[in-house]
Amino acid sequence: MIGPDAPVFVDYFDGRSAVPRRMELTIDGTRLLLIPAEGSTIVWPLDRMRRLPDQAGSDGLTLAPADGGPARLYIPDGAADLADALRAAIPARAAPPPIPNFRARLVGLSAAALTSVALILFVLVPLMADQLATLLPPEGEAALGDATLEQIRSALDESGRDGLDFCTAAPGRAALGRMTDRLAKHTEFPFPLKVHVLDHEMVNAFALPGGHVVLFRGLIDAANDPDEVAAVLAHEMGHVAGRDATRGALRSAGSIGILGLIFGDFAGGTVALFLANQLIEAQYSQATEERADAYGIALMQKAGLPPEALGRFFETLRQQEGARDERSLLDHLSSHPALLDRIEAAGRAARPAQVSPVLNSSDWQALRAICR
Amino acid sequence: MAAALGTDFIGRKGALFGLALRLSILTVVTLGFYRFWMKTRLRRWYWSAIRPGGHPLEYTGDPLEKLLGFLIAVVFLSFYIGVFNLILMFFSFSYLGDNFVAYAASFVIVIPFIFFAQYRARRYMLARTRWRGIRFGLEPGAWGYAWRAMVYWALTIVTLGALWPLMTFRLEKFRTDRTWFGSARLHQGGRWTALILPALPALLCLWGTLGLGLVAAVTEDPTPVLGLVLTLPLLGIAWVHYRLRALRYLTETKRLGEDVGLTLHPRLGRVLAITVFGHLLVGLFLGLLLGGVGIAVGILLGIGAAGGVDFEALPPWVFVVAGMVAYFGGFILWDVLRQVFVRMPLLAHYVATLEIDNAHALAPLAQRERDDFADAGGFAEALDVGAAL
Repeated sequence: MIGPDAPVFVDYFDGRSAVPRRMELTIDGTRLLLIPAEGSTIVWPLDRMRRLPDQAGSDGLTLAPADGGPARLYIPDGAADLADALRAAIPARAAPPPIPNFRARLVGLSAAALTSVALILFVLVPLMADQLATLLPPEGEAALGDATLEQIRSALDESGRDGLDFCTAAPGRAALGRMTDRLAKHTEFPFPLKVHVLDHEMVNAFALPGGHVVLFRGLIDAANDPDEVAAVLAHEMGHVAGRDATRGALRSAGSIGILGLIFGDFAGGTVALFLANQLIEAQYSQATEERADAYGIALMQKAGLPPEALGRFFETLRQQEGARDERSLLDHLSSHPALLDRIEAAGRAARPAQVSPVLNSSDWQALRAICR
Repeated sequence: MAAALGTDFIGRKGALFGLALRLSILTVVTLGFYRFWMKTRLRRWYWSAIRPGGHPLEYTGDPLEKLLGFLIAVVFLSFYIGVFNLILMFFSFSYLGDNFVAYAASFVIVIPFIFFAQYRARRYMLARTRWRGIRFGLEPGAWGYAWRAMVYWALTIVTLGALWPLMTFRLEKFRTDRTWFGSARLHQGGRWTALILPALPALLCLWGTLGLGLVAAVTEDPTPVLGLVLTLPLLGIAWVHYRLRALRYLTETKRLGEDVGLTLHPRLGRVLAITVFGHLLVGLFLGLLLGGVGIAVGILLGIGAAGGVDFEALPPWVFVVAGMVAYFGGFILWDVLRQVFVRMPLLAHYVATLEIDNAHALAPLAQRERDDFADAGGFAEALDVGAAL
C-alpha cells in the first residue's frame, strides 16, 4: 500500500467534456481508485497509465491512459507524498503514435525524401547549372565577373578602405601583358581576357566569370621563375575556357537554398551549411582542377613553354605548406586534394621541341616589382 | 456573472535553463537532427506551465510527425527553391549582371510559402494542444490565408503602413473564426477601425523615419539622418505599444461558443522592462561564463607551458575542435539564456494577465476528432517560420 493517509482530491477529465470532476483518489495495491461524490468509482490500473513528460511543475503531475486515450487526471501541487509515489510507479512517456505502421512509414518516406533531395542536389542542379552557363550571354557573364571582383576586393581588404589595391606599376603590367599574350594567342574566348594582380600576400590565383583572372602578389613572390607564373596563368585560363566560375556560381545559387532548408537555423547552423556546401563544391572542383591542369599543360606546350613548371610550382607550394596556418591548409585540402598526383601529371607532360623563356630577366624583375 | 478564471504561469527559470541547455547540446551534436525533439519537449514544458483555471495546457505534438512533415516539405521545397533560384540567378546574371536582384527575388518566391507555412504550423500546434483533456483545432485554409496575407501586405506597403491595422484585424479574424476548442467555435468580433488609434504613434514614428531619410536623400546632406537616433527607438516602443493594444483588443472581442469571453491586459512598461533588462542579464551571464572559461583556459595553458608542454606541436585538429566547441557553445548559451531571461518572463507576463470570463458556459462543449494531417507543420520547420512557441 502506497499513498498518504489523508484523502487527496484530484480533478478528473473524462476526455469528452471540459467540466472538471472532483474525485477522491486512493491507491489500492496496483490500482488507482477515483471515487466521485456521487456515481460509480473509476478504476485505473497503474500499469496501464503514463505520466506526461517534460512538465514544468515540481510537485503536481498529470496522468493519462498509456494507450493514448484522452482522459486526464491532475494531481494538484501540495500532495507531495502521493506525487512521489506515483512518479515511482508510473513512467513518464508520450502517447503512442496513433497511425498504424508509423515507424515503417517513417523509414520509407525518409529514405524516399533523402533520395529525392540528393538527386536534386547532385544531379538536377549541376546539370541545369552546366546547361544554363552555356546559354549565358557574354555581356551578362562579364558584368557578373566585374561585380564578383569588386566583392572579393572588398572582402579581402583588412584596412576597411575601398577594397584591395590593384598592382599597376607600368613596367610590371607590360611584362604581365607579354606573358598573357604569349599564352592567349592559342586560345579563343568569347570575351577579352583581363589579368589582374592584387596586393595581398596570399599564395593563390583564381578565375572569375567573364574572363577575369586574378593573381595575388604572394603567388608572384613565391614563384621561383616566370615560367611558374605562366603555368599558373595557363591553368586559370583553363578555368576561363571551362566557364568553371560561372557554373560554380549558378550551382551554388541552386544548392545553398536547399542546404539552408535541410540544416535549419539551429545554433550556428550557418557553419554546417557552409561546410556542406564546401564539401559539395570540393567534389566538383577536384574534377575541374584536373581539367584546368590538363588545359594549362596543353596551352604551355602550344606556347613553347615548359609544362612541368606547373609541377615545380606545386612542389614549392607543398614545401611551404608546413609553415602555413591552419585554415589555408584545410582550404587547400578541400579544393586541391591530390597535389602530389598533379605534380606528377605535370612532370610527365612532354616538353615542346622549342622552348624559349616567357620573360627575359629584366621583365621578370619588373613583374616581381608590380606592386611597388 | 460568474467570477472569471485566472491563469497561472508556474515555470521556473532554473528548470527551463537545465532542459533547454540539454536539448540544445543534443541538437548541435546531432547536426540539427534533434531539433524536432527539442521543439516538442520545450513546447510540452511551456504548455504545462500555463494553467488557466489551475489546469495545465498539454502539448501532444510528436517529434516523429514533425520529422516526417519536414522531410515531405523538404522534397517539395528543394525542387522548387533549387530550380527557381537557379533560373532567377541565370536571368539576373544575363540581363542585370549582378546577383543582388536574384537574391531579392529568391526571397520573394518563397513568400507565399511562408504564409502558407505559418497557417499550417498554427493548425498543427492547435490540433496538438489540449486543455482539460479537450483538443483545440484550426480548420484547413492555408492557401486562403496565404493569398489574403499577400494582398493585405501589399495594401500595407502601398499605403506606407496606413492600412496596417486593417491587415492585423482581418488576418486575425481569418485565423480566429476557424479556431475551435472542442465543439465550440471561436469568433472574432470588433472592428478594424478600433486599431487605428493604437497604431497612430507607430505610424507617425515610421513616417518621421522615412521622411528624414527622404530629406537626406533629396538634399544630399546627411545631417537629418542623425534624427534617426531619436525616431528609431521611439518607433520600437510605439511598435510594441501597438502590438499590445491590438492583442488586448482582439482578445477582448473574441467569443468562444455563445458566451465565453477572454481578456488579456499585458502592460507596455513591463514588456519593455523585461526585454531590455532581460537582454542585459543575458549579456552579463554570457560575459561572465565566457570570460570564466577564457580565464580557465588561460590558466591551463599557463600551467601547461610551465610544465613544458609544447602547444605548437599539438595536432591541428585539437585547435579546430576547441574552436568549434567555443563557437557552438557561445551560440547555445546565447539562445538558452535568452529563452530563460526574455522569452519565458514575457510569456509568463502575458499568461498571468489572461482571464476566462463566464467559464461555466464551457460545460456543454464536447471533444473534437483528432486532426490527422500529413505535414505536421513541416513547411514551417523547413522555412523556419514556425509560430514562435
